[in-house]
Amino acid sequence: MRPFAAILRKDLMLELRSGRTTTALVSLALLVLVVLAFALDRAIAGGSDAAAGAMWVALVFAGMLGATRVMLAEQENGCLRALLLSPVDRATLYAAKLAAAFIFMLGAALAAMILAILFFNLEFSNAFGTLSVALLLGALGFSALATLLAAISARARGGELLLPILIVPLFVPALIAGVKASASALSGAQFAAAGQWFGVLAAFDVLFVAAGYLLFEHVVGEE
Amino acid sequence: MAAPVIETHALGKTFGLAPVLRDTAFRLLPGAAAIVIGGNGTGKSTLLKILSGLVAPSDGYALVFGEDTRRFSPRYRRRIGMVSHQSFLYPSLTARENLEFYADLYGIADASAAADSWLERVGLADFGKERVRTFSRGMEQRLAVARAMIHGPSLLLLDEPFAALDTDGSARIRSLIKSALDEGCSVLATAHQPFEIDDVAFDLYEIVRGQVAPLEEKEEVRRGGRLRSLLRPRSS
Repeated sequence: MRPFAAILRKDLMLELRSGRTTTALVSLALLVLVVLAFALDRAIAGGSDAAAGAMWVALVFAGMLGATRVMLAEQENGCLRALLLSPVDRATLYAAKLAAAFIFMLGAALAAMILAILFFNLEFSNAFGTLSVALLLGALGFSALATLLAAISARARGGELLLPILIVPLFVPALIAGVKASASALSGAQFAAAGQWFGVLAAFDVLFVAAGYLLFEHVVGEE
Repeated sequence: MAAPVIETHALGKTFGLAPVLRDTAFRLLPGAAAIVIGGNGTGKSTLLKILSGLVAPSDGYALVFGEDTRRFSPRYRRRIGMVSHQSFLYPSLTARENLEFYADLYGIADASAAADSWLERVGLADFGKERVRTFSRGMEQRLAVARAMIHGPSLLLLDEPFAALDTDGSARIRSLIKSALDEGCSVLATAHQPFEIDDVAFDLYEIVRGQVAPLEEKEEVRRGGRLRSLLRPRSS
């Protein structure tokens, strides 16, 4: 537990020091939502589908910066090698990196939700519970996927370019489910109406958390 | 005879089509100290990376503490300290935070006390609250040595440990290496030129055409001879 806490604390401390990820994350979410809010026809933009879509697009783009940063930061001065040399087992390393990415994603989700409410003038009070569950499940799935793929790209030349190409297509099933669940919530439907989409999101989470846990050792293994 | 700390068998490493190490066989006994010298690109760093488990050999295998480096378990990794060309330090953290972080990773009981103690030993006690980003290359190298030694390893792998160090820094690191040897630690270092530490008898080796050879036998390697068991323990 101590190495897990040490790695997580270090990642959060690095972010608090630089603030780079948070700033970029909020700026990108703001940019995406502004563009979509003004680009879409007012009649369409007023709808819950458009708002949910815009919010998830902002979340994915912002998350791509935040969630992947926790692995890419280890490239500086070869710090990933020091982690691999240490007695910390790979599962603990993965869990700590996943936790850090999840925290960044929650920040992105919060920013995207607040900005979407503001720009799309949403009636929010009845949707909070469903929307929160959808965003939590989506953030976890994205974090698991991003941590694993960032670990792969950290070893590849031009890995930062590789990341979005790999992440977005793989995240599509969860993205569709997240948009549908959020749209359902914003349209005022009951929590149960989004049940099937929560199932898809939960399955995605289980799949990629398990895949990351099992594959991480091989991904970050010997050069 | 004590079991060797390092034992390699026909070890080879090829990057692409270029062989860097080939058919290297040597041993290092507990408490022994050895220096492998060689020019740029001769495979010194690759050798240390293989021995630390960071890089997989293309041919043969290496045993460190009797464990194959391709399947290193955490309890063996705990016994190794490594100084590399890269410092393995986080630029945005302070020197003290970096050492505390590594002390936590290695499960040292009082990480803060260990960090303070090592900052003192490498002559950076006054810079503990400074971020590593502001350090000179020499200061970073001192801190990298502290990072590698903070958990009391049984084997030190030092890749050009005196790189960028001034006279004082060099003297401190020599003293720390000697202390580690006195405590029974084994040391394998690489360098461009041989270096000396008072009262320490290093075995000297050179990488010639991808093979590690005792310095006095290098002519045989150059003639194409295949040498085995090249790294003889200091005590034998």
